[in-house]
Amino acid sequence: MNIKSRDSKYLKGACMKYNLLEKTKVSELVNALKKKYRVVGPKEKENLFVYGDIEDAGEIRLEHKPPILSLKKYYLPQEEQLLAFKFKEVKAVPVEVKKENLVIFGAHTCDITGIICLDHASSIEPRDSNFHKRKKNVLIIGIECLRPCDEHATCVTMDTHNPKGGFDLMLTDAGNNYIVQVNSTEGENLINEYKFLFKESDAKSEDGLIKMRQEKEKWPRSLKVKTDDLKKTVDSGLKHKEWESVKARCVSCGNCTNVCPTCYCFDIKDDVDLNLNNGTRSRVWDSCQLKEFAEVAGGENFRKDRKSRQQHRLLRKFSFSVEKYNRFFCTGCGRCTRACMAKISLYETMNNLVKE
Amino acid sequence: MSETKKKVRVAFFDFADCEGCQLQLTYLNTALLDILNSIEIVNFREVMHERSEEYDVAVIEGSITRPHDEERLKDIRAKAKILVAYGACACTGGVNGIMRNHTVKAALETVYPGRKDKMETGLIRAVDQVVKVDAYVHGCPINLNEFAAVLKGLLLGALYKVPDYAVCVECKLKENVCLYEKGQICMGPVTRAGCGAWCTSNGNTCYSCRGLLEDMNKQGQLDILEKHGVTVEMLKDKFSLYNGCKLEGNK
Ligand code: SF4
Ligand code: SF4
Ligand code: SF4
Repeated sequence: MNIKSRDSKYLKGACMKYNLLEKTKVSELVNALKKKYRVVGPKEKENLFVYGDIEDAGEIRLEHKPPILSLKKYYLPQEEQLLAFKFKEVKAVPVEVKKENLVIFGAHTCDITGIICLDHASSIEPRDSNFHKRKKNVLIIGIECLRPCDEHATCVTMDTHNPKGGFDLMLTDAGNNYIVQVNSTEGENLINEYKFLFKESDAKSEDGLIKMRQEKEKWPRSLKVKTDDLKKTVDSGLKHKEWESVKARCVSCGNCTNVCPTCYCFDIKDDVDLNLNNGTRSRVWDSCQLKEFAEVAGGENFRKDRKSRQQHRLLRKFSFSVEKYNRFFCTGCGRCTRACMAKISLYETMNNLVKE
Repeated sequence: MSETKKKVRVAFFDFADCEGCQLQLTYLNTALLDILNSIEIVNFREVMHERSEEYDVAVIEGSITRPHDEERLKDIRAKAKILVAYGACACTGGVNGIMRNHTVKAALETVYPGRKDKMETGLIRAVDQVVKVDAYVHGCPINLNEFAAVLKGLLLGALYKVPDYAVCVECKLKENVCLYEKGQICMGPVTRAGCGAWCTSNGNTCYSCRGLLEDMNKQGQLDILEKHGVTVEMLKDKFSLYNGCKLEGNK
């Protein structure tokens, strides 16, 4: 299969709407939003970041490295109840998703891409209705990255470093102002609702966008494999000796999958009250890196060894997802590399797979 | 459940331990009343005097030391349909396993100076190093929800399965900054999850009270420690704090 990377020359859309937001007005915007929405965004947690509820506009860190967990938790929570049942009555009713209007303020383009991936996976039959119910009530106000987070990010190769959709508004730093790109009706409605905070955009600012994005193409690439060769590299590299090294190092801590914005595997768990009648069925995040993941009745395990589990992960990111959804399920966020207990790096593994 | 249905008889027994895990059970209070429709507690030294020798489920607290403890445990095993190891001392040998670092003689001299001839002790063992165990409730102290899950599993005929993956899994889902990132040492990567990363989520480090993972990549774990400038020697105390009975060479 020949996959074409999407047009990386995409620098500024043909019919995009732009506004300007003075930086000094950001707090005012957040506080205004807080009156109507639950506002979440990147906050500091010790020396790292997490997405969390914004109590005070000053907490938001628009300049941040990808938070510990991605936006996924707002669409597919770590644990969520699906059914409530009663044994004696042989009865089960779905647990309704709590309706909540959420604004995500300050998401990077890689994390927004993660939601696009999850949307694809949740849209094939059987549709994941809980995901879609939540998604319907989320507004995303993104922040464009103008420099790479660190050497672990591979967003340039994955072509997720520029805003290309999946958001309602996108902020790009332009000195005293943020250029605000409008990408949805909901985004436009927001601008209209808080008109007093925004200004008309001008040709100079918009030209500036093109220059900034041209500069971004020069970012260093730690993932050296060409975008168009990613699938081939994993598919044809399964016998490569690199996998022996990965196998020897991986300790199956599951961090790489738990922090990944596109991993959507879950397990189903039943809890029964002590009265042994009422109970709930929940789904909880699961990880293909754990030994029990591919274990079936009778004790048979399809991916008993760590090598096959790690291969499975990269196949899911760069090969199976292309066959199934016509896109990579890696956003280049770099979380897996940063969080790996064994310091296994996604880009080093990929780079080594193309070496002899 | 119909009134006439026979209740499952549960008996608690303690061996070498602090009885703290049994004490945890008294906190289950009102919730416990619900389960009393299905079970009957027939032996529980912490809260009752009457004893019974007839039971279906034997819950064993504590590690096994003296020869007559071993006999008593085997006797209980023979009578019980299901035997549950309850708490770290029973499941892994617990802190008592530290004694494995010493000879019995040296331990007696240190712990009971001047009285060592009057005291009796032996090789410390986890319950499953003496008899077959059907279910485990890990932890120091145990987590009540997990014990409840084990009981409910027994009653519903679907045994509770202890996770055999690392505490890191639960720790990540709680969005903790990894202690290794902060230059600290944590036993999470080698320790069986199921506690909900209780300690690491509350400003503490993991002490491995739930025991070591079964399916461990030992060399991989050693390499990680080495990257953080830690040797196994430096960690010996951490490994034997709760897992002395289960360490290789100690089995
Ligand atoms: S595979 Fe790694 S870099 Fe790619 S999206 Fe997942 S966590 Fe990010
Ligand atoms: S984060 Fe690293 S050590 Fe942990 S499961 Fe993934 S590859 Fe293995
Ligand atoms: S703090 Fe401990 S348990 Fe948590 S991820 Fe780090 S090593 Fe694992």
